[in-house]
Amino acid sequence: MRPVTDMTHDRAGPHQRPAARWLHSLLSMPAGAILLVFVTVQLFCIVAGLIFPDDFRYLSPQNMGILMRSVPVLGCLALGAGLLMIAGEFDLSIGSVYTFTAVVMAMLVGSGVDAFLAAPAGLLVGAAIGLSNGILTLRFNLPSFIVTLGGLLFWRGAVLLINGAVQVRFDPGPAFDALFSGTVIGINAAFIWFVGLSLAFWALLHRHRFGNHVFATGGDRSAATAIGVNTARIKLAAFAIAGAMAAFAGILATTRVGSVQPGQGAGLELQAIAACVIGGLSLRGGRGSILGIFLGVMLIFTITDVLLLLRAPGFYLDMFIATLIVVASIFNHGLDRRGAAA
Amino acid sequence: MSLLALHNINKTFGPLRALTDLSFEVGHSEVVGLLGDNGAGKSTTVNLISGIHQPSSGHLSIDGERRDFTCRRDSAEAGIETIYQNTALVDCLSISRNIFLGRELTDRFGFLDLKTMREIAMQVLDSAVHISGIDSPDKLVGDLSGGQKQAVAIARAVFFKRRVLLLDEPTSALSVRETEALLNQVLRLKQEGVSSVLVTHNLYHAYQVCDRFVIMSHGTKVFDVAKAETTIGELTQHVVLT
Repeated sequence: MRPVTDMTHDRAGPHQRPAARWLHSLLSMPAGAILLVFVTVQLFCIVAGLIFPDDFRYLSPQNMGILMRSVPVLGCLALGAGLLMIAGEFDLSIGSVYTFTAVVMAMLVGSGVDAFLAAPAGLLVGAAIGLSNGILTLRFNLPSFIVTLGGLLFWRGAVLLINGAVQVRFDPGPAFDALFSGTVIGINAAFIWFVGLSLAFWALLHRHRFGNHVFATGGDRSAATAIGVNTARIKLAAFAIAGAMAAFAGILATTRVGSVQPGQGAGLELQAIAACVIGGLSLRGGRGSILGIFLGVMLIFTITDVLLLLRAPGFYLDMFIATLIVVASIFNHGLDRRGAAA
Repeated sequence: MSLLALHNINKTFGPLRALTDLSFEVGHSEVVGLLGDNGAGKSTTVNLISGIHQPSSGHLSIDGERRDFTCRRDSAEAGIETIYQNTALVDCLSISRNIFLGRELTDRFGFLDLKTMREIAMQVLDSAVHISGIDSPDKLVGDLSGGQKQAVAIARAVFFKRRVLLLDEPTSALSVRETEALLNQVLRLKQEGVSSVLVTHNLYHAYQVCDRFVIMSHGTKVFDVAKAETTIGELTQHVVLT
């Protein structure tokens, strides 16, 4: 007879000391490891900032302001891309969609349309492009990687088609500016939007029926279908959300800068996916958390910021992020495998 | 009157004839063994009853009333729960979220009532389904063994007040002890008034729990007999020789 230990032996065995077990259960949480890394990096930066306030200006208000202004664009892209990844699909076109919808919005405003109408129009265009990616993926049963790779090139070209390779000015008026790039009690409005959207996504994904179906669809599509979840509709909704969030990131970036550069979105889709992977999302879907995405984005920018403050050359940044991605996915793959083996 | 009945069902897939004039019944509080060799049409029958396939001609009835299932949800609403060998559970979700998947308890805005869902899941796992090693409804289903997973699927059927369990080769992936627990579960549910259709080619498992046997071969019924009137030798003969 097989020993009974495999029934009672949990991940945290009874022989481990409490501290080790606590660490173990933290690391088993979807965002546990990234939380640990993030808190460690933050503590290190804060201590260093306090000890060397002149050489390492991490805690200076200027630095905090720069951090808060730069996080939201990638953050919003990553929220949408992450939700879609949990549903089991990719969207490589979000960087191009981000530029395209921003150009559309800026051109509308330039031709006299009110910004408060142009912005929702941009969001709708983004959602529609996401939806069409989803329809192509599901209708022809293609990998979304391929479909959205096509989308990446198509919408990048479309920007040049409708606008040419010149920048578009964006002057939406003071109310719109205040709403998306103003400052509320010292905190950047775009950053408040990002935090608010993160909370909304958390509620949607972890506390709402829709989120339950998203995890089920990404985790095991055939099982979810057999139970009666409409997985095609869930995937389409996730694609549309990813597109709309790309458009929203476009609104934030355009309002901050006051203009759109036709080439500005290149590479952002990969950064967004990188943030998700660092945050503990599985590339195969069904695994991840909004806290992880949030911390993944924050970690990328914290490290960028530290390297800038240390006046390190830019290639260090790329190498550092690259290492982080690979280490994070090795770690997550280990968790996945252990989950499957148990 | 029978609980579930198939009436003269034919099913073709293009030129392929899967079922020919198949009729049988499942009574109240009865465990029926649906036996047959590979390719006899057992899986097609299961898919018909659970609403995944539709008959080319003939029909199903529940309580004597004709029902046409167009999808799995229809059969679930009629009180039929199908438990597959690769049980339809999502590994990356917790036990309680799996039990309520697709039928979540929510408030008006669709937000989950996690507390009630956990309590009910724990209660069902404690009272209705006895499988050792499940101590928390927050455990991920991916961390459970094959038998524990089927226990969760059965718990789902019990909670949603199913009247017929369709068990499609449920024991093929289970250890000996888990098989024993599952078969006992089927008998316990029978006492509570839940009928079962046990689809298997393991005659010994079927003989242990079934009240009646329906043997299929080449897409139709070749033998239909109560347990009291047959022996395992006779059943084997019909499965092998027809």
